[in-house]
Amino acid sequence: MNSMALKSFVGLRQVSPEKTHLTGQTKPITFRHRKVKIVAGKYSPLVSGRNLRVAVIGGGPAGGSAAETLAKGGIETFLIERKLDNCKPCGGAIPLCMVGEFDLPLDIIDRRVTKMKMISPSNVAVDIGQTLKPHEYIGMVRREVLDEYLRNRAKENGATIMNGLFLKMDIPKDKTSPYVLHYSSYDEKTGGVGEKRTLEVDAVIGADGANSRVAKSINAGDYEYAIAFQERIKIPDDKMVYYENLAEMYVGDDVSPDFYGWVFPKCDHVAVGTGTVTHKGDIKKFQVATRNRAKDKIQGGKIIRVEAHPIPEHPRPRRLSGRVALVGDAAGYVTKCSGEGIYFAAKSGRMCAEAIVEGSENGKKMVNEDDLRKYLKKWDQTYWPTYKVLDVLQKVFYRSNPAREAFVEMCADEYVQKMTFDSYLYKTVSPGNPLEDLKLAVNTIGSLVRANALRREMDKLNV
Amino acid sequence: MLISMASFSPPTRFSTTPSSHSKPHLSHKPFISLSPINRLFLLSTLKASASESGIGTSGSAAASVEVEPQVEQSAPEPPPPVPEKNDSAAGNNGSVAAVAEEVTLVSNFKDPRWVGGTWDLKQFQKNGETDWDAVIDAEVRRRKWLEDNPESSSNESPVVFDTSLIPWWAWIKRFHLPEAELLNGRAAMIGFFMAYLVDGLTGVGLVDQMSNFFCKTLLFIAVAGVLLIRKNEDLDNLKKLLEETTFYDKQWQATWQDENSSISKIE
Repeated sequence: MNSMALKSFVGLRQVSPEKTHLTGQTKPITFRHRKVKIVAGKYSPLVSGRNLRVAVIGGGPAGGSAAETLAKGGIETFLIERKLDNCKPCGGAIPLCMVGEFDLPLDIIDRRVTKMKMISPSNVAVDIGQTLKPHEYIGMVRREVLDEYLRNRAKENGATIMNGLFLKMDIPKDKTSPYVLHYSSYDEKTGGVGEKRTLEVDAVIGADGANSRVAKSINAGDYEYAIAFQERIKIPDDKMVYYENLAEMYVGDDVSPDFYGWVFPKCDHVAVGTGTVTHKGDIKKFQVATRNRAKDKIQGGKIIRVEAHPIPEHPRPRRLSGRVALVGDAAGYVTKCSGEGIYFAAKSGRMCAEAIVEGSENGKKMVNEDDLRKYLKKWDQTYWPTYKVLDVLQKVFYRSNPAREAFVEMCADEYVQKMTFDSYLYKTVSPGNPLEDLKLAVNTIGSLVRANALRREMDKLNV
Repeated sequence: MLISMASFSPPTRFSTTPSSHSKPHLSHKPFISLSPINRLFLLSTLKASASESGIGTSGSAAASVEVEPQVEQSAPEPPPPVPEKNDSAAGNNGSVAAVAEEVTLVSNFKDPRWVGGTWDLKQFQKNGETDWDAVIDAEVRRRKWLEDNPESSSNESPVVFDTSLIPWWAWIKRFHLPEAELLNGRAAMIGFFMAYLVDGLTGVGLVDQMSNFFCKTLLFIAVAGVLLIRKNEDLDNLKKLLEETTFYDKQWQATWQDENSSISKIE
């Protein structure tokens, strides 16, 4: 089904609006920009006496991988992060391809999940993952470990890691003067107080998460966000055996009206949580319901940590302005449906950094907005279909209990599992078998119709 | 990230006592169908599992302290009438405050015909054949019950019932046939009227219309329309659906609109 959907979605992106806008644009503006273009294209000034300086705000997967790529590309890189030991509330699942692409050592992966259980509102449990090959798994990491590893690698490559809190930045009037970042620095000398400092850089990558200050300072606009609530529960060893390499997803109106509840295995405990966009005030109730649904399996557990975090629902209206670009959560790159963000954050960080390295010819030249635009263009081209498919899936299957029942029924199908895992683990979409696709479509519609028919009868019972 | 951590960390969230206290009540809107007994039951679960986790762990323990008085308040209330199946659940709720640890949560769904996680089809025999209508009815009632009393999932007694066990003709007989008469009649009337209209406007006779591409398209639209728009509100629903499907596209494209206004084409 994925592939079928994808084929029609590719290219839907926004070819036409671009054109209509061009023709609809008033003349003076086009003129002004043409002038700018010439300046930028022909005389992109060299930076003399030094290399290009770029600041990366935020030291998560996005910031870490961006800083690494920048430093490797010969750019003077500064990474500003306040909490270097931050252990962010996060599911912590990474797809298999990330291990290869980012060259991660296997020992930072706490657990290898090879089985997923989807549990429907009427408690039909479906095992997903029988189609996985022996070497395939979903890695579970702790964010404090992963983030630190990526930052350290950036440091080894020559990036400067600074413990500081980014406050604001002054945006220059012209195309070549530096951005002035204001931050309070925390190091051995200043201690816990923090010392106000400034830093001049030529470009900025904002990787500072959902409440991004960089985004605020370039007026990037807001996005809708879901709130995710998670409790880390230490459960008795005999119960932990069950979660050895298994993750559970619960769906249903009781656990979340528009997302799912989960039990993910962590290094020595499980994370039980749920998320929602539409009923944020009820999150605690959903959490209780999630715990209740998993009750037998986590009984006797002790809650060792409670955490909550906003998850962006869609990209910000503006992800780029001048020589400032947003990546990761700051830009809003979290998928719907699965709520996955680590891989996309790291990948966007790297892609953005690559665009800067390329545009500056390894730090020799000044970059401009067009160089950064390339990152945006490439990103949307590569990943928009993925995001769109997941959005459609969420809209179709998370909308009501009958739809969720149908979703779980659909997931019992081996072909679906194979397709989902392939696209999740490798982030590529392999073309499916048209006959299988058709069969799947018919079956899914059948499930949906049946479940909805039952729902209508249930409503009649009410009256 | 740090900022968000701060703003969502448990202490700040739970410090606003009055608001967090009233929340459970406000929040019940979407769950209106829940009977009071369930609310009581939800709260008691929270309390139960929080106390499991040991006092003073963190936010959740604090939460349970907030909630506790409520449980006590609502406990003395006379239990409202509940369906018979709920009886044991109600009994549990009464004693929950006392035995927090080993609340065996709620009776699971019980029905003599529900055996081993599926409907025992032998008990649905009627005249030597399975009475599928009765199976559908039973499943409807089970799902309804589960919606009000979400059940813990369990590996020991998995649910194996699948709606596809019920043959397709049983679904058609039950859900489509009562409507089929109406739809067929409507389609016939619209078809006749359209044929008349086309003939009247263009002079192409009914037989010739059949070999005409335009007319075939019209026929297709008419049939699809009859199937999709059964009631007036269906039209609104379809409109909403269309908006919903394009909404995400717009959100993604927002950043490119910006480009068009600030940078024109390079070439």
